[in-house]
Amino acid sequence: MIQREITVLTDIALITCIVQRGVADDIIQAAREAGAQGATVYFARGMGIRERLGILGVSVEVEKEVIEIVVSKEQVERVFERMYLAGNLDTPGMGIMYITPLDKAATFIPPEVLKKFS
Amino acid sequence: MTQGIRFGDFVREVSLKQNYISYNALTPPLRLDENGKEIPYQPAKLQLRSIDIYRLLGPYVGTRLVNQIKAVVPLAAYLFLFQILILRQSVLDHWVISAGLIAVILGLMIFMEGLKLGLMPFGEIIGHTLPKKSKLGVVLLIAFLLGIGVTFAEPAIGALQAVGSIVDVNKAPYLYTLLNNWTGALVLVVGMGVGLAAVLGTLRFLNGWSLKPMIFLTLIPTLGLTVYCMFDPELNKVLGLAWDCGAVTTGPVTVPLVLSLGIGIASAAGKGNSSLSGFGIVTLASLFPIIGVMGLAIYVASTVSPESIIQAAQVVVTQSSSGWLTETPYVEIVSGVQSIVPLVLFLFLVLKVLLKEKIPEPGILFYGLCLSVLGMIIFNIGLSYGLAKLGSQSGSFVPAAFAPIEKVEGSPLYVYAVGVFIAVFFAWILGFGATLAEPALNALGQTVENLTNGAFKKSMLMYAVSIGVGFGISLGVLKIIFEIPIAYLLLPGYTLGVVLTALSTEEFVNVAWDSAGVTTGPVTVPLVLAMGLGFGNAVSAIEGFGILSMASICPILSVLITGIWVQFKRRQADIHRIEILKGQEGVA
Repeated sequence: MIQREITVLTDIALITCIVQRGVADDIIQAAREAGAQGATVYFARGMGIRERLGILGVSVEVEKEVIEIVVSKEQVERVFERMYLAGNLDTPGMGIMYITPLDKAATFIPPEVLKKFS
Repeated sequence: MTQGIRFGDFVREVSLKQNYISYNALTPPLRLDENGKEIPYQPAKLQLRSIDIYRLLGPYVGTRLVNQIKAVVPLAAYLFLFQILILRQSVLDHWVISAGLIAVILGLMIFMEGLKLGLMPFGEIIGHTLPKKSKLGVVLLIAFLLGIGVTFAEPAIGALQAVGSIVDVNKAPYLYTLLNNWTGALVLVVGMGVGLAAVLGTLRFLNGWSLKPMIFLTLIPTLGLTVYCMFDPELNKVLGLAWDCGAVTTGPVTVPLVLSLGIGIASAAGKGNSSLSGFGIVTLASLFPIIGVMGLAIYVASTVSPESIIQAAQVVVTQSSSGWLTETPYVEIVSGVQSIVPLVLFLFLVLKVLLKEKIPEPGILFYGLCLSVLGMIIFNIGLSYGLAKLGSQSGSFVPAAFAPIEKVEGSPLYVYAVGVFIAVFFAWILGFGATLAEPALNALGQTVENLTNGAFKKSMLMYAVSIGVGFGISLGVLKIIFEIPIAYLLLPGYTLGVVLTALSTEEFVNVAWDSAGVTTGPVTVPLVLAMGLGFGNAVSAIEGFGILSMASICPILSVLITGIWVQFKRRQADIHRIEILKGQEGVA
């Protein structure tokens, strides 16, 4: 029987970015160009600034997309920045993003990559 | 000599300047009133700089505008270029038409946004709460009335009125009277057809009925009435219109509103989890109106004689249109208000009186309703000055390729056979291109790919439907050129459809019959209708309807055939896999 092993990744962080529906693809594209390996998107509903914008609030979609990207600690600033710019988050109503420190993660790691570290 | 740079400095140099602010400084402090109770926090209205407003509204308007430009501009460009390059005719009134097309783009953009903000929330709330608070009978009655209401609000239905004036009263009196004196009744019977479809579709949601028997049962009276009308020399001119009405109904208002009601009912009943149950309403909504229009035509024929219609029409012509109500901006404003306001009042009454629900976000809802009325008005103006004009102009010039036309010098431009070929080819490309660009088809393709686990590729469906529409419009043009009675094309077409339906599996039947309704959007319908009528007048055919109905049946056939082919391929692959497995066992 083959002994199964688990490789745990450390030095990682989670970037979560909540934007209006339909914008996620552009932001993910920017994040991947900055070195992010993948992204998870799910749909949600959000509120807050829409009510405070008055009549202009109609231009802010209630339906949101939540992007979650796991990156390494070295990448995190760069990816964060690129996503901020791609999503135009300096415009009211465009969304919010934050970094969460993560403790551990585990996923598939190609064997040839693993070899370098053993 | 090596130079050392601190990595931190490097990062600061290449990245943006970051300012750090504690969020504590931004959140409001806890405030207490004199009794020591908390005062609930009320956020202040946001003050925006003009640059922020611009950056907020830019993408909001931009994406919506681009969507409509994509739907209108390629089609219009194709018609313009074809007329200039192949027919060597300059486009008449090109400034008016361009302005009209811009009105169409703006109108559709505003209308679609209004639909999303103003009308859809009504549909969702009613669909969600109605089944909980009312009996099934009431629910079905509301669904029926809603079907009528949405038909009046459908932008493409205005095209029927717009093209009605092109029909020659002497050649087809019943057609003329249906489109001019009986327009209200015509839209009403179409609406009743849609309403009936909504009722049956809802029942289908609840009981999980199969679509196949419903199609068969609907087609029997439809084809029966068609045969009856075919043998009546006056009534057979109405057939094209009747079958075209089916294609007109299933537009951007009807489909989502009726569907949201049906889905709400089904989910409230805890049923309808089948992903396919969303299909079928569109099919029924395009078949029932055909029966309705034929019924109305038969009724009109039994009460009014053709001679009296012709006389009445001449009286109207001598009186000529007068009064401000028939002048340009006003007639569009009136028809725009007429089409939206009753629907909204109906939805509002259902919500307030029957359900006693509160309206969420009344400000935004009101804004949405204003947008839909405004959009409808602008679209109607664009319809008469842009789409209908351009369509009828192309329609009247294309026959110059093969036949002598007064307006075109040196016509026929080409040898007869070549000219006919050019006309048919023109129609094919028009149908193919317009359909491929239809956003609804893209959405349908995605759904179908998910439903069939990728066996039926999105692109495959889109091409199957587009090719079908291409052939449909070509056939429709041939029908007008050679004056083939429409029944000769429809009866074999639908018979073949029935046979293929019997052979196909349920999922493909649902997709195929619905794809026909999806293809005929608010831009294609008026353009093709007007083109057909202009074409018909130019070759002095009796009537130019029927192109849309051909554009409905052909994609059904092409999708059904593709579906059967996909099934066959899948079975082949299965057999192949089993053989490989057997072979491996043999070796082992």
